[in-house]
Amino acid sequence: MRYPPGDLAIWIFILAELVVFAAFFAAYAFTRMNNVELFNEFQQQLDQRAALINTLALITSSYFVVRAVSAIREDNRRHCVVWLLAALAMGALFLIVKMGEYQHHFIVEGVSLSTNTFYMFYISLTFFHFMHVIMGMVILAAVVVMAAKGKYSAAEHTGVETGASYWHMVDLLWLIIFPLVYVMR
Amino acid sequence: MKSTKRKLGIRPCTWVYLFLITFTFVTSQVGQMGLSGLTVSLLVLMLALIKGQLVGYYFMGLGRVKGLWHWPVFIWLFIPGILIGTAFYLTAARV
Repeated sequence: MRYPPGDLAIWIFILAELVVFAAFFAAYAFTRMNNVELFNEFQQQLDQRAALINTLALITSSYFVVRAVSAIREDNRRHCVVWLLAALAMGALFLIVKMGEYQHHFIVEGVSLSTNTFYMFYISLTFFHFMHVIMGMVILAAVVVMAAKGKYSAAEHTGVETGASYWHMVDLLWLIIFPLVYVMR
Repeated sequence: MKSTKRKLGIRPCTWVYLFLITFTFVTSQVGQMGLSGLTVSLLVLMLALIKGQLVGYYFMGLGRVKGLWHWPVFIWLFIPGILIGTAFYLTAARV
């Protein structure tokens, strides 16, 4: 196989997204160099348990998407739809937990982008990713509708692979955000 | 892939999923115990890079792709990995 699964256009888009996030990650790490105590202090105020739940939710949803792609390759449309719906449920769990975190920081603690440099990075990085999760869920929902209508088969399932590739990218980004923002100090 | 499934009764992607979950619990435990320092940070970063490579290789399907498209996730993980590692190393060297 010479090309990755799915539409090649989504891969160009994925690469562009990955480059933007890589710059973000590097900016976070190098800015931290001059604000180590501040970053360490406020990092400890983040909800580690929520971050763990969110990481498990995204990894699990990615696994469900892999199973959905396998199902459609075996021409099992019903299983494909079921796995995709399960992946969407995990995505929804991620959003709910993340909104709970934001609610605590924004409303209870009164944090904003201008509170300090750490929160500026925390909010912008995680919210940018949050928007990607929503985008990924919209794409997966569209794939579910098409799959339920019988538009995909073992012979033609580029749409499922395209949506899957985008969703795995969302997972991949969080796999770096989680240790970088919540754990490494 | 099919022969592995027959032999072990479990799909390779399920093994990968279990590895990812295990590595996640290890990373989370490090955070909850409040462990810090350069060595700990670099080990956590290494775990994250391995997890990313597993997602790229098995979940995104790049492991089956030949040529140029085999590498984008590996290269993407490598570059920020080096930059983040360097920043944490320089931070530790300053203190």
